[in-house]
Amino acid sequence: MVNSNPTSPQLSPVDEQEKLLDTALGVVKVQALEMKRCLDRSKLMDGLKHASTMLGELRTSLLSPKSYYELYMATTDELRYLEQYLLDEFQRGRKVTDLYELVQYAGNIVPRLYLLITVGLVYIKTNDSIKKNLLKDMVEMCRGVQHPLRGLFLRNYLLQCTRNILPDTVEAEDENEGTVKDSIEFVQSNFAEMNKLWVRMQHQGHSREKEKREREREELRLLVGTNLVRLSQLESINVERYKRLVLPGILEQVVSCRDAIAQEYLMECIIQVFPDDFHLQTLHSFLKACAELQPGVNVKNIIIALIDRLALYSQRADGGIPAEIRLFDVFSEQIAQVIEARQDIPTEDIVALQVSLINLSLKCYPDRVDYVDKVLETTVDIFKKMELQRVQYNSAVSRELSKLMKIPIDNYNNIMTVLQLDHFAPLIEYFDFYGRKDLSAYLVTNALENETLIPTQEQTDTLLTMIDSMIQDQSDQPASEEDPDDFAEEQGLLGRFIHHLKSNVPDQQYLILTAARNHFSLGGAKRIKYTLPPLVFQAYQLAYQYNTLREEDPKWDKKCQKIFQFCHQTINALTKAELAELPLRLFLQGAVAAGCIEFENHETVAYEFMSQAFSLYEDEISDSKAQLCAITLIIATIEQMSCFEEENHAPLRTQCALAASKLLKKPDQCRGVSVCSHLFWSGKSRASNGEPLRDGKKVVECLNKGSRITNQCMELSVKVQLFVELLNYYVYFFEKGNEQVSVQTLNQLVAKIKEELPNLEASEETEQINKHFTNTLAHLRARMSAPDVNTVNFEGLVI
Amino acid sequence: MSFFGFGQGAEVEIVLDNVDNRRTADVKGEDGKKEKHYLFYDGESVAGKVNIALKKAGGRLEHQGIKIEFIGQIELYYDRGNHHEFTSLLKELAPQGELSHSITFPFEFLNVEKPYESYSGSNVRLRYFLRVTIVRWLSDVVKELELVVHTLSSYPELNNSIKMEVGIEDCLHIEFEYNKSRYHLKDVIVGKIYFLLVRIKIKHMEIAIIKRETTGSGPNTFTENETIAKYEIMDGAPVRGESIPIRVFLAGYDLAPSMKDINKKFSVRYYLNLVLMDEEDRRYFKQQEITLWRKGETSRRTLQQQPASGTTSPMAGAPLANPTLPTFRSAPPPVEREAQDAPEHEQEIDDDDDRVRGQSAARASAPDATPSPPGRRADAPRRTALSPPP
Repeated sequence: MVNSNPTSPQLSPVDEQEKLLDTALGVVKVQALEMKRCLDRSKLMDGLKHASTMLGELRTSLLSPKSYYELYMATTDELRYLEQYLLDEFQRGRKVTDLYELVQYAGNIVPRLYLLITVGLVYIKTNDSIKKNLLKDMVEMCRGVQHPLRGLFLRNYLLQCTRNILPDTVEAEDENEGTVKDSIEFVQSNFAEMNKLWVRMQHQGHSREKEKREREREELRLLVGTNLVRLSQLESINVERYKRLVLPGILEQVVSCRDAIAQEYLMECIIQVFPDDFHLQTLHSFLKACAELQPGVNVKNIIIALIDRLALYSQRADGGIPAEIRLFDVFSEQIAQVIEARQDIPTEDIVALQVSLINLSLKCYPDRVDYVDKVLETTVDIFKKMELQRVQYNSAVSRELSKLMKIPIDNYNNIMTVLQLDHFAPLIEYFDFYGRKDLSAYLVTNALENETLIPTQEQTDTLLTMIDSMIQDQSDQPASEEDPDDFAEEQGLLGRFIHHLKSNVPDQQYLILTAARNHFSLGGAKRIKYTLPPLVFQAYQLAYQYNTLREEDPKWDKKCQKIFQFCHQTINALTKAELAELPLRLFLQGAVAAGCIEFENHETVAYEFMSQAFSLYEDEISDSKAQLCAITLIIATIEQMSCFEEENHAPLRTQCALAASKLLKKPDQCRGVSVCSHLFWSGKSRASNGEPLRDGKKVVECLNKGSRITNQCMELSVKVQLFVELLNYYVYFFEKGNEQVSVQTLNQLVAKIKEELPNLEASEETEQINKHFTNTLAHLRARMSAPDVNTVNFEGLVI
Repeated sequence: MSFFGFGQGAEVEIVLDNVDNRRTADVKGEDGKKEKHYLFYDGESVAGKVNIALKKAGGRLEHQGIKIEFIGQIELYYDRGNHHEFTSLLKELAPQGELSHSITFPFEFLNVEKPYESYSGSNVRLRYFLRVTIVRWLSDVVKELELVVHTLSSYPELNNSIKMEVGIEDCLHIEFEYNKSRYHLKDVIVGKIYFLLVRIKIKHMEIAIIKRETTGSGPNTFTENETIAKYEIMDGAPVRGESIPIRVFLAGYDLAPSMKDINKKFSVRYYLNLVLMDEEDRRYFKQQEITLWRKGETSRRTLQQQPASGTTSPMAGAPLANPTLPTFRSAPPPVEREAQDAPEHEQEIDDDDDRVRGQSAARASAPDATPSPPGRRADAPRRTALSPPP
């Protein structure tokens, strides 16, 4: 690259700028000093000459905008001295005749105009009656500077100087003082010229420096914007004048300059500097202008800025938006027109516009759900027109669209309101798989957090269709497996959500559950294990509810049967999915429920559920640990239930003991048969009239069998552990008053344990066993030392 | 003088009447320095006294007569020997005789016609003076008193604006307008430049006031151009549609009325030269003659009513409000690019219309357009032959 400045090619551009600026500032300092000296000695003409030489520095073309700004600040700062001097002179009555003419003899236009403005200001300050004409003259004469940078700063000086003297009255006593109308013309004329100069910068110089130029223009934009600030500071401008005199002129200039940078900045500037109630009254023209802006302009940002402001305003202002301004309709129409007029506008921006519209409607018209729906409808229509198929996840459009749809969710915090939006569901369909799932999860989470209940079958249906992507496999689902943790979390949400499908009316609740099952049963093995169990539990609860309503609902009996049938089917769906433990537990739970609710054939149902559990145990559970776990559960369930006749209870008991003794591992067998002992002690049946069986003999048989099995164990530590456990059983039943358990048995067992215990290798396990045993003995000692609460006699116990 | 006069000299002094109330004016002397002299107007009487003081008290001065002359003459510097007197009035103060004591002679030239303004240029001088001569054998005693004459004019009735569209094909088309064709010396030139087409990178634009002094005739014509003022009116490059205001206050410059074909010896004309400079320092210019005239002080109050004539108010020279823009010419006729006399980097902007150029040429040789002096104000003022461009 050729260094454009031949004077010192070895300097970097930055150093070069500094050097140039320093030199210029040096001249300004010297000349300013001379000027002040002359003025102090009342040598006005010489003072003006120095001022002119000083201002001559502003003629430079070598400085960057930043450096030029510094020079400008330094120079105009010195000019204030001249201004103050002249003001003092004038006010003392020493008016210099023809001064305004005099300064115009300066041969160079830039210094001349700075002086002209300075003197003009003094004239105006000392004589209001020439204000109007002088303002006009100054702004007109500034046309002579067509160089963008110099022109912008010169006109900025004009604007700064006149900021406190612009006429701001509607009617002037003296016509020549001017009115606010003159001020508007003055500023608008200055604004138009400054904007032209600013825009012109873009088209100067080499195209490869485009970025640099744009950066420089950014630095200067404030100068142009100040014009609008000045207008906004005129207090006599009311809505009417703004509408008629101010805005049209500005918009005309903005639109006709055909420069994207200027348009974007100025439109936002208008929004920022003028009050909101002005904007409210000029929405049409402002938005119409938006449609006419250059293709590169980010119209979205402009409109959104306006909407956001008005939305805020509506919440701040007393009484909100005046009724006669149909804010939503206006924006809705105008945005549609902007979209229509600007084919280049990216889809995400279109959606973003809808986002702002929805924000507006929610903030200004919180009750108007139809407005929100209207926005969604418009969006659907636009997509249809564009023949949009799918919105890819994480694309810009997808992000905007999901913002659009999450806003009402967040805002209402009630998905029942969201369901009122007819166009919500169709819009979801535009998302791809991930997008849909993300939004579905969002909906569900919202319902959970706000504890929203879905009280009808129809709503359940609609909602579950809406979040279908969570419920079943999708045609556009990617082949790769999801992260199992994420999937579990997502399905967990759904599981929690099922508890929100809830009506107070039992019949309705039944319909809801049926409808829900229709959806969830399509989920496949990996989903139903999360979704069906809560459904089953919901159904059991419903059955309990009918139970309490048996007085009011004569059909409660039939309904309960139906519910258990429903549950049976649902659990079987899980069984078919080759799940075993889950349906087993659900069956057991169902058996308990059926046992409690005394509908007509509840015993049969309970028995059926128990037998289903047994067959699952036998056919499907092969892991030994799981088996022990399952049989323990089964035993516990039977122990709890009291609905069976002896003919049903006996086989169940026997089956349990049998199953327990058939467990594969000896320790498991021992533990299984030990647990069985409870069945014979606290188990209940119709035969015992619901009272515990208290079959002490059978109990001891079970425990003795356990002891025998334990003796067969090879591993010493397991053996001791089992003996300690058995000791606990014996103690339990001894204390409960089972006479078949003797003190002697206890003594034998304690002695056995004491004998074996020291032979164990020291380990964590051993320590635990030891502790267990010590605790057991401690318990026994405690009981022995408090004989008055005992119903049994501990006499003879040796520990 | 005493040098030749054998010690018998006399001091001659010319004292004008009522000098306390007479204004003075500057005029450049032959050596280029400014001199102050008493100011007279056309038709004014020139009266005063001639004091002759003998150098030696009690001495005697013999003479062949004493006379006083009022002379207006044109001096061409290249023709030193020949002075062209256009006015010469003579008064005999004393017949042949002898002076034995100092004496005073009153004199008066009544209502002297002074048709031209005093002028001192580079090749020519037009001067008025009084000359007292004591005619003596061998060497006369001569005393001269320089006077300055200003010619005043009344406001010209016909004072069209100068408006013209000029251009260089596909390069630059501008329309300019000066509010008048005739300006008095304290006047303000108000105008505007309207850019119809800009394809060159203009750096700045200025208006220069050029004084052109022409002396002699035929092959012996001498022309001197002098730039009196340079005034930048635009900084930077305008784009199409831009309109730039012009406002030039004339009072600050050293100007004198236009003089046309004075006694067939010389002319002094003024031109406004509009110069555009591009970024490669090429100059594009267009010259337009303007007529300058001197406005009578006495008539000033009545003249103030005329548009933009006063300079006392700061607003006197305000540009035309809402200037009406000229119509854009869609197909300007071809123009020549070369300017014959201009240096290589200069280029005269041609008129768009050949007819206009013809008129301009004709205008240069048009009869004298100097406004009439106040003495003839009763008569109908002579009309200018300037015609406005279409």
